Amino acid sequence: MISASMKNVSKSFGANHVLKDVSFETHNGEIFGMLGPSGAGKTTIINILTKQLEVDSGEAYTSVGSNEIGLMLEHDGLFNRLSCLDNLIVFEDIYGIPRSRTLEALEKVGLTDAKKTVVEKLSKGMRQRLVLARAVLHAPKVLFLDEPTSALDPMTARGIHELIRELRDAGSTVFLTTHNMEEATHLCDRVVLLHKGTIIEQGAPEEICQRHNSVKTMMDLESVFVKLTGGGLE
Amino acid sequence: MRAVKAVFKKQFKSSVQNPEMLIQFLIFPFMAFMMTRFVGTDAMMDDILYFAPYIGQDFFDAMAANMPNLVTMMAGMFAGMALIPAVAGIIAEDKEKTSLRFLIMAGVKPSAYLVGVGSVILFVSALTSLAFAFVGEFRGMDFAIFMGAMLSGVTASIVLGAAIGIISKGQQSATALAMPIAMVLGFGPMMAQFNDNVARALNIFYSQQINIIADYITIGTDTPLWQSFAIMWANILVLAILFAIVYAKKGLTTS
Repeated sequence: MISASMKNVSKSFGANHVLKDVSFETHNGEIFGMLGPSGAGKTTIINILTKQLEVDSGEAYTSVGSNEIGLMLEHDGLFNRLSCLDNLIVFEDIYGIPRSRTLEALEKVGLTDAKKTVVEKLSKGMRQRLVLARAVLHAPKVLFLDEPTSALDPMTARGIHELIRELRDAGSTVFLTTHNMEEATHLCDRVVLLHKGTIIEQGAPEEICQRHNSVKTMMDLESVFVKLTGGGLE
Repeated sequence: MRAVKAVFKKQFKSSVQNPEMLIQFLIFPFMAFMMTRFVGTDAMMDDILYFAPYIGQDFFDAMAANMPNLVTMMAGMFAGMALIPAVAGIIAEDKEKTSLRFLIMAGVKPSAYLVGVGSVILFVSALTSLAFAFVGEFRGMDFAIFMGAMLSGVTASIVLGAAIGIISKGQQSATALAMPIAMVLGFGPMMAQFNDNVARALNIFYSQQINIIADYITIGTDTPLWQSFAIMWANILVLAILFAIVYAKKGLTTS
């Protein structure tokens, strides 16, 4: 079943044509990657699919309402003066979910020990993990992750990858943007390559690599790091 | 209701953790307490009268006759000055840091957000007003009139602050816009104590009406109370219309 799609979508900001005739669809229970350099239009696609932006032309569709969507954006939107736990309690109250689920979300991202730490004292990696905990708190059916591992150390990034796979296995659709090709190759079931607002290729990473006579996997630095350290999220 | 409660809890915890904001709710009653207990208007007048030979005795005689009650003067300044930048700053900060976007994406309606934030300020301001009433030793009907005037003024300031927060792009622009307005509303009534023309000009503002009501309580002026309360609620109505126009035009968007 389709969880989100775009059909011939175009979007401009003044004279800047950010998206040109973009079409794709994502299916339930898959990790869908949107790859492209900065400024390719990835965040605009998320903003359209989460109904924060209107399209100029074409059709954008998301199968679920906003309260069944999980969001992790470039700007984290955390309440800096509150603790990690209090940040999640705000959304626990909004969604009406039990405290045990909140504590479980903190545990999943490895922040149980930091639950009383004020957010402004967290490292970049810990903030990212907290944002992910907030995004998955209400077990969303569709999860939009905008550059979820950018500027993170390999160990933290690896932990977030594991969590994303767990969410996919639990039935959620994960829609992520990244400019890290290795990340997309290892993580995504299907990807779209975006360049200057236009889709230049899409499909499963293996298919794309085969199509272009490339090798799908190779031992990357991240895997070497994780193999040598044997580290997980914590 | 669940969303309002969530925003209220979030804002209360956040405000308590914010010393810059907290001090605005404490400093005015604290100043009133210190000035009432340790300075007093008589002592102030003795000091000021030292300059009488250089400026003119008549001016100081008039000043002495109209020396304001320090508690009510500070209370009026608090209602007019402290709250507008506070409310505008909260909304602008949540917009600027995209926290508001996440709340709205989670299903919080903009109206629920505004009610939640406004309720926290109203609640904390009610505590501050109680502190003023305690320092001023207002009892019985005087207490009820004073609290009625303060909460009406606070409501007006919250609505005005919310409108400024909505049109501001960030905290800096909110402060830049809120401060001059807050200064006029806060300092105006104090200046009106010493100049009838200023007093007449400021009569249309709610902060001046708080002072007039305060004079009714402390000095026993013959201004009809209903008139002052009517002006204050007319202020709230006008500000609510202004807020509705701003909200309809700009919305509570963050993108």
